[in-house]
Amino acid sequence: MKILHLYHDFMNLYGEWANVRALERLLEKNGISFSTDKLSLGDSFEPEDYDFIYVGSGTERNRNVALEHLRPYKDKFGDYIEKGKVALFTGNSFEMLGKSITTADDTIIEGLGLLDATVKEQNKTRITSDVIYNADFLSKPLVGFINKCGRLEISGDKLFDVEYGLGDSEGAKTEGVRKNNLFGTHLTGPALVKNPHFLVYLAELLIGQAPDDSSLGYEKAGFEVTLKALKERAGAER
Amino acid sequence: MKVFFTILICKLLRLAGKAVGHGSSLPGQIALKLCPDILSRVKLPQYIIAVTGSNGKTSTVEMIAHILKKNGKRVSWNKEGSNQIEGVTTLVLSESTLGGRVKSDILLIESDERFARYTFKYITPTHYVITNLYRDQLTRNGHPEWVFDALKDSIHDETELILNADDPLVSLFGVGRKAVYFGADKLESDTAELNSVYNDGAYCPACKAPMKYTTHHYNHIGHYACTSCGYKRQPTSYTITSVDLDKGEMVIDGKYTITLALKSLYNIYNILSAYTVASIIGIDGEKIARDMSDYVLKNGRVITFELKSRKGTLLTSKHENSVSYDQSIRVASACKEGCDVMFIVDAVSRKYFTSDVSWLYDIDFEMLNNENIGEIILSGRYFNDLAARFSYTDIPSEKIRIIPEIEKAVDYLDSDRKEYIYVITCFSDKGKFLEKLKGDKR
Repeated sequence: MKILHLYHDFMNLYGEWANVRALERLLEKNGISFSTDKLSLGDSFEPEDYDFIYVGSGTERNRNVALEHLRPYKDKFGDYIEKGKVALFTGNSFEMLGKSITTADDTIIEGLGLLDATVKEQNKTRITSDVIYNADFLSKPLVGFINKCGRLEISGDKLFDVEYGLGDSEGAKTEGVRKNNLFGTHLTGPALVKNPHFLVYLAELLIGQAPDDSSLGYEKAGFEVTLKALKERAGAER
Repeated sequence: MKVFFTILICKLLRLAGKAVGHGSSLPGQIALKLCPDILSRVKLPQYIIAVTGSNGKTSTVEMIAHILKKNGKRVSWNKEGSNQIEGVTTLVLSESTLGGRVKSDILLIESDERFARYTFKYITPTHYVITNLYRDQLTRNGHPEWVFDALKDSIHDETELILNADDPLVSLFGVGRKAVYFGADKLESDTAELNSVYNDGAYCPACKAPMKYTTHHYNHIGHYACTSCGYKRQPTSYTITSVDLDKGEMVIDGKYTITLALKSLYNIYNILSAYTVASIIGIDGEKIARDMSDYVLKNGRVITFELKSRKGTLLTSKHENSVSYDQSIRVASACKEGCDVMFIVDAVSRKYFTSDVSWLYDIDFEMLNNENIGEIILSGRYFNDLAARFSYTDIPSEKIRIIPEIEKAVDYLDSDRKEYIYVITCFSDKGKFLEKLKGDKR
């Protein structure tokens, strides 16, 4: 098993390193041998060498720079997704995979074009929200936080249904995208620690069977506390 | 006439508000409704000093005011920390004559970072101190570059910037502008490698090529240079030349020794920025050093306490601010006599709702993995998240006690153990700890 944590020191704005660490530890506890490459700007790589690729959130400027670094891998990464291999892009990182990003100063940056998505950014108001989402492939909701400055227009398979908080854009009922086993969501931070059932789901895709998740006690209990806090909040706002 | 009435009403509301213990932003809010450009219609003093940044604004402003007042200057400042345009308006109008002239020699304004562009639309500071830009309250602030862009809009060309040379993002404000820099020489407590979970200095803020550090003071604060575009730390006009945290002493510009009431690197930067401002206003370095020696901040962020036979210190830190936590953790981990440490995360913020705990993963809890640390007590509503976070450190699990209820955690600390106690938590949660302490004393 080979894991790639891409832009580990450049797209790591909200503690995203823990997503990779959480997966590593779950694999360790299940006796799966693996290795992790942490690569960044200036490094080159072969997508097909990997079984799992992860990219986290960055500042808008960092995302734009990372996009230029990723651009030459467009076809190879496209093949990776077509083959159904597993990748997780959280925060603004999956915007790189869409058709275009229009920045706050109206510069249009072409994306990799692997997803049918466009982003329009502004620099006046930060778009932030605690959220509860639901996924048809998970038995429990997801909790987390959105922190971005753009409006996303996307077609294709949606990843999550919005139960509370913001989705792709104001008023949107869905958030994120799934293409085969590429998961793209604006959830920021250690989303796999906060949602251990999502971590377990990804691990199952990687190892072909349900992993033993008994090591995730605090994560599971922490998830329930946050879900309760968010539901209370949602109730109070209603 | 409009100015007269607006000032009068603001003053009356302020008096009434004070009588019933109300905050200081409402009078300004109403004044701005009556006369939106009131701030540009008031005659301001010769010196208008603005202070902003992620951390240390309140402490720095308090120190500047202390020095200036000691040296006979009349200073108006927003001591209650109302640092958005409404609070600043209340300050300015309360300190004005009814004719619209601010009565003091110096107007000293602590300003919120994101809203500075509104406050300084009508007021042009003569001097503008920017202390640092960290990952701070990212659930509202987005990220440091977002704050940088917002702050950039608040800077007037004629203002002289006073910048922390050791913070690469802050220094970037000085490119192409009038600026004075303060910072620290290589210090004994410095490290060659970064001690932090993340590195906001890894890449150049100007061109995004990798940066190289010759020394780190803490986190990404240090001596840096871009490997590509030539952007680098600027020479400093006001400089910490040495620090002895064990002894509790710092030396500025090689000649002024200041003894420290609070032995943290944080504190020395706040003192240095206050020193810089006071020097620019013309106060003698020796006098500043005397005024700052053993100065104890009045803002109650560091509180010592006794729990029967045990002694401890509450280090008020900011949730959602990893550098603030790292500083507190550094103090605890340096306690050679041995200490227990308690963390409380019960409400993430006192001002707004969020349940986001991502920031715990930016804090370098690993620093507690040393022989100085006895037990680590985790408490508050988000104790599971704290426990999960600690499980990603190499700290032995037998050192960690999880006691969800704050009251019970305090009861647990109230033991025969001899170790000193550090309680590390935020404004939003410290009251719950202090109440329990007070309750027990009764």
